Amino acid sequence: MGDKAAEKRDVWQGTLALMVLKTLQAMGPLHGYGIARRIEQTSGDLLAVNYGTLYPALLKLEQEGYISSEWGFSDNNRKAKYYKLTRAGRKQLNKEEREWEQTTAILARFLAPGEERS
Amino acid sequence: MRRLRAWFLRFAGLFLRAPRERELADELESHLQLHIEDNLRRGMSPAQARREAIMKLGGVEQTKENYRERRGLPILETTFEDCRHALRLLRKNPGFTLVAALTLALGIGGNTAVFSVMNSVLLRNLPLPHPEQLMFLRLPNDQPPGASNTGDGDTSFSDPVFEQLRKEHAAFSDLMAYVPLAIGKVAVRVGEDPEEAEADMVSGNFFSGLGTAFARGRGFTLEDETAHAPLAVLSYSYWTGRFARNPAVLGQTIYVKGLPFTVIGVTAQGFYGVEPGASTDFWIPLQNRPELNAWGNPASLNTLYGTPTWWCLRLIGRLAPEVTAAEALRNLDPLFQRAALIGLGTPDPKNRKPVLELSPAKGIQGLRDQYEQPIEILMAMVGLVLVIACANVAMLLVARNSARQREFTMRVALGAGPGRLLRQLLAESLLLVTVGAGLGWMFAISASRALAAWSSLEVPFSLDSNVLLFTLAISFACAVVFGLAPLRSAVSVQAGSVVKSSNAAAQRTKRSSWAGKFVVAVQMALCLILLVGAGLLVRSLRNYETLPLGLRTDGLLVFGTSPLTTHSDDEKARFYHILLDRLRVVPGVESATLLENRLGSGWSNNNVFAIDGVVPTGDFADIGMRANDVGPDYLHTLGIPILEGRDILDSDSRTAPKVVVVNETFVKRFFSKSDPLGHSAGGVKPDSSFTIVGVAADSKYTGVDEKPRPMLYFPFWQRSFVSDMQVELHTTGNPESLISSVRAVLHDLDPNLPMQKPMTQRAQFDVSFSQPRLFARLSMFFGLLAVLLVATGLYGTLAYRVSRRTSEIGVRMALGAQRIAVLWMVLRESLLISVAGVAAGVPLAIAGAQLMRSMLFGVMPGDSRSFLEALLGVTLVALIASAIPARRAASVDPIVALRYE
Repeated sequence: MGDKAAEKRDVWQGTLALMVLKTLQAMGPLHGYGIARRIEQTSGDLLAVNYGTLYPALLKLEQEGYISSEWGFSDNNRKAKYYKLTRAGRKQLNKEEREWEQTTAILARFLAPGEERS
Repeated sequence: MRRLRAWFLRFAGLFLRAPRERELADELESHLQLHIEDNLRRGMSPAQARREAIMKLGGVEQTKENYRERRGLPILETTFEDCRHALRLLRKNPGFTLVAALTLALGIGGNTAVFSVMNSVLLRNLPLPHPEQLMFLRLPNDQPPGASNTGDGDTSFSDPVFEQLRKEHAAFSDLMAYVPLAIGKVAVRVGEDPEEAEADMVSGNFFSGLGTAFARGRGFTLEDETAHAPLAVLSYSYWTGRFARNPAVLGQTIYVKGLPFTVIGVTAQGFYGVEPGASTDFWIPLQNRPELNAWGNPASLNTLYGTPTWWCLRLIGRLAPEVTAAEALRNLDPLFQRAALIGLGTPDPKNRKPVLELSPAKGIQGLRDQYEQPIEILMAMVGLVLVIACANVAMLLVARNSARQREFTMRVALGAGPGRLLRQLLAESLLLVTVGAGLGWMFAISASRALAAWSSLEVPFSLDSNVLLFTLAISFACAVVFGLAPLRSAVSVQAGSVVKSSNAAAQRTKRSSWAGKFVVAVQMALCLILLVGAGLLVRSLRNYETLPLGLRTDGLLVFGTSPLTTHSDDEKARFYHILLDRLRVVPGVESATLLENRLGSGWSNNNVFAIDGVVPTGDFADIGMRANDVGPDYLHTLGIPILEGRDILDSDSRTAPKVVVVNETFVKRFFSKSDPLGHSAGGVKPDSSFTIVGVAADSKYTGVDEKPRPMLYFPFWQRSFVSDMQVELHTTGNPESLISSVRAVLHDLDPNLPMQKPMTQRAQFDVSFSQPRLFARLSMFFGLLAVLLVATGLYGTLAYRVSRRTSEIGVRMALGAQRIAVLWMVLRESLLISVAGVAAGVPLAIAGAQLMRSMLFGVMPGDSRSFLEALLGVTLVALIASAIPARRAASVDPIVALRYE
């Protein structure tokens, strides 16, 4: 109970895609492992990404045309598959970001009614 | 849109799996390597680094599996797998597959073929735009009294009726008239060779009103009709068969009865005229020349196209848009009633009024009435065959699947749910049915051709979309039945019973064997029905074949011919006189004669003649008489016994005193007390009466199944007009070997003269019962098929039971059971099944036979011999089918059997 900060949360259903898109926007083309690491780091290591779930998510995004992939080489010269945002992916990201902001704003109002009044 | 794209890509993911798999493996491998390097940098040991990386990934194979699910379409993939698995199973059991697929092919193919006949005769619309708007005009109670007519009394209209009705566009947007140029075929010459073809004269709007499409050239116009233009339109099939689709046919001349006609068009493929019972070869505009009279009828002043009282035109109309048949009829009837009287003077109000009727142009007119019930009965019979076939295949599947219990239990133990098992079984049955239906379709193609040939119906039997839909529907029904039948045994499997011995299975099959026995009993019952039906029809056919005709058919050759260039009756009589003289001296000809209506062709003259100047009164059924115009030596040539007086002779010429020969029934009906010789028959006035000079024995006229009717034979020379005649030759050798020398005689007389439908008289009578023959043969075929299927079904069931009970039998024998007792045990089982089947089948067969009453000839529906034979047949089948399993059971070696476990 006391070690609450160390207890990692699972990625919420449906938000993984948004995180992937955002990561790719911020970092440019990146391989699967890099994306997973980046998501962990960004969350301050609070999120536990099961790396295995990342790949079907990447495949789904690719099938939907939001990202594209090609084989390339990593910094230490290892062959890896790199993903990057497409034009449609960028649009989708903007849209989802806006929606997410709205949702969180609404939720925030619900969750902090006292502050609002004071 | 995005989702669609994703689905498409997932579908694409079903293919090219190997490279995609490699890529996935590479990607995961590179992921692990990157992770391991990171971990190493953090100071882990190599083994630890790898372990941590794999754990973090959540397992390589698990990840791959999740990935695959997203990549393809799992449902489709498992379906593919099911199909592949099913295919493998079917290949592994070629014997089973062959038997099951062939059984299904016979069932489905037979049904498809019979349905294709039913479709063309009863259901199909004409291949024209909006066929539902097309209506035939009919006269259910014939033409008004006083009208002269040709063709069938209920289909022929007069020219004034046509002209009046075609003006009324509120009912029909177009009303078309057509009439054949001959009964059967008309003489045509293209180039040098005379031949025959079926031809109609039609109104100018015939093609435009029907909406016929043209492969070449054009159709007729109203001007062509009024000018009686010498133009012709060919049908696509005639163009193909006679002109090899030569495009240069347009503008060519064809000679119809020696008169030139210019070809101006070819109809589109698939159009055979509006009466597809006979396919029309070409069409010409309505003509008013006596040579081209309707139906080839001899023309006189009041029997020529354009004469108001000459009822010869068949009519077909296209309903105006949005008008129903009933509305159209209401509209037309007053017009029709007025027009019908044109030329007939003031009608006697007591006379019956003609009735106009509209009948949808669907199926084949005429044939529809004649064939509707028989075809439905055939359909029912072949349906029963399909049921038997399906039951057999279902039993085969059940037996095979109970041998697969272990496989199913294994699958259940590995986590397959009932739904998954059902899907796999459905895939197997679907595959089997697909193979069966494919074979069946091929079988149906040739079978329906054979049916068309046997039925001597000139019907284009084509397997159209209706038939295809029908086949798919029955196949699908089969597949579902087969999928569901074995399901019970499959899902009742408990995962725990995997390795239990076959004893447990033997216990369970006790229940399912009851179902098997029930199915076989039902098959037996159906088989009995089919055998009774086949027996009755075959017996009817035997009656047709062996019924005495009252004449000698051996050595008789018959053919038709009519002079092309002679017009007057005298000229025509002279032509036939010369023809007879020439034919009599042909080597091999014993005697020759002429007759107007060919025997056994269905045609006859029906009338009521005056006897001694007095027209008998009464019902037509009692006083109706039949007549034929015949040549000299008629009774002698045909071998009809002369009971009294003499035959028609050469001396009964055109100028000699008029004479007539009557038959026995005529004498019985009208001269029961006195001697008929010397009395007269014919017209009311003395100058139109004929003196009776002979009495002939009764003989068959229109066909084999007619009842004796009063009959008069008139010398054709002495009739007021001379008809087109048929020639009968009595030959000493094989009649057909004379055809070429007869043809030479005809050619000598006129190179344009065709020999119409030469055949032996026996063959002509055979044609008169070709329909019963077809049905008898088919029902016999279905009966044999049913017997074969039931025998294999029963054999399979018993053999399976015996093999299951081998150890039980071994125990019984070890305990002292005699071989004979074991034999009886198996036979008793099969006999019990048969008795149950027969007990259920007999009442059903009695009911079924009643439905067939109209198809029977000389046999009662309750014919005890047919029933006994069917019973005997079923019993025999049961015994033969059980003999082998019974012997196998009796020859079980107790020692081997006990080790069998």
